[in-house]
Amino acid sequence: MSIWTKLETLDRRWVYLMVSIAVIVPFIIEAKFPISITPEARKLFEAVEAVPDSSNVFVVFDYYASTTAECEPMSRAAVRHFFRKDCKVITLTNIPLGGPSMSERVTREVALEYDKEYGVDFVNLGFKYGYVAVLSGMGTSIESIFPTDNSGTPLSELPLMDSVYNYDDIEFIFEVADNATAEFWVSIVNAQYGVPIGCGTTAVSAPKYYSFVQSGQFVGLLGGMKGAAEYELMMDQPDLAVRGMAVQSLVHLLIIGFVVLGNLGYFLGPRKKKRSAF
Amino acid sequence: MRTTVPIAVAFIAGMVVAVSYFFADESAIGWLRLEFLVWLIIVGGMTLALGVVSIVRVNWDAVKKRKEGWPYKVLTLVSVFAMGVPAVLPESWSPLFGRNQGSIYEWLFTYLDAPMMATMFATLAFYIASAAYRAFRARNAEATVLLITATAVMLWRVPMGEAFLNLFPGDIPYFLNTYIMAGANMAVQRGIIIGAALGAASMSLRIILGIERTYMGRG
Repeated sequence: MSIWTKLETLDRRWVYLMVSIAVIVPFIIEAKFPISITPEARKLFEAVEAVPDSSNVFVVFDYYASTTAECEPMSRAAVRHFFRKDCKVITLTNIPLGGPSMSERVTREVALEYDKEYGVDFVNLGFKYGYVAVLSGMGTSIESIFPTDNSGTPLSELPLMDSVYNYDDIEFIFEVADNATAEFWVSIVNAQYGVPIGCGTTAVSAPKYYSFVQSGQFVGLLGGMKGAAEYELMMDQPDLAVRGMAVQSLVHLLIIGFVVLGNLGYFLGPRKKKRSAF
Repeated sequence: MRTTVPIAVAFIAGMVVAVSYFFADESAIGWLRLEFLVWLIIVGGMTLALGVVSIVRVNWDAVKKRKEGWPYKVLTLVSVFAMGVPAVLPESWSPLFGRNQGSIYEWLFTYLDAPMMATMFATLAFYIASAAYRAFRARNAEATVLLITATAVMLWRVPMGEAFLNLFPGDIPYFLNTYIMAGANMAVQRGIIIGAALGAASMSLRIILGIERTYMGRG
């Protein structure tokens, strides 16, 4: 049996083993590579920088726990950036399973770093069913849609919400999403109410949103963990995403190596009936 | 009656929300729109409760009849109630109830649900690696273009890969971002988005005008 034939019939468990090694090794041997900043990420960072200090902003946690590795570094960096500018952060989510918990945890953890107080500097509105109605209704009155915060406290009892009635009082929306809700923030909130929106999304979703950046409906875009790493670097606060880049680099290179090996085996191995790829 | 009433409700609700776009929020139609949206959230919330009833009925039936895999159904039922019941009980009764930090729901989500969801998603890396090895072949011209583009973008999206691309003359990362992602990719994605939006608009219009009736469970 030639080496190419062996490659063609390689047991998939070897592939799994190599992926495992590629994930574990960067945690043991630290390797640093320069991370370049894409124009889309820089635009988003600069747009947040341009938000007047002490403004009211939304940070939206529209992602499930499954994509925490990619999305949480983005939401964490966004909350940090806004707190650094002394902005008032209002969080909400359109994800029923865990969305309110994740926004609560991330915001409270970052709030400790900046000595921010719940109700005064940040509020968690939590979740309401039906994102089209929620996004649309908040244009008229946030309190009509969210009469209470995530813990059941009436908004009228939270000092931060005294100055927030609807989108007119919101300077910026930072949407972190792993699903199609980002499109509704564009079509409902940006298009109808003109609130600037920046988006962070998973690497697999990012290609879809380039058109919204080009049209100006998103002021900028973070794509996957690389986007989060870029944002952390622009903030001079490297954290989870920058650390994760080494793992992602190695796994990407491994997959590319597999593609090359697979094709070598295909072309140099024993000739067989060619099939269409599609 | 069973057809006319739903069509009338769909027509009125759809028209009010559509027409209100052209009126101020303070107008009567603006107020009506907000009422409709709040009602939509309430009705939507009730569908979640209906979902719970449905999952309990289906799984309980399977457990009673000892159908194949019934122990998993028991686990599903236990999970539904273990997370759901403490979450809806008032926090004033105990700090373990509700959905705040320190509650049973929060604990189950953080230490069981979130790691399980993350694990399921992370296993994709293994399957993608295996699939890339076995199936991603340059079998014809189209597959070759796809393979080369995907490989280049994958390299560009990680620091090690970008460092490798920078070894070659010409600014390959700039080319990939400008002409592949913000060029060809964007043009295709925009076409898909516009097509989907036109489809959604025409479907909405069909529902509002009562032409599309499949949502009532019959044609």
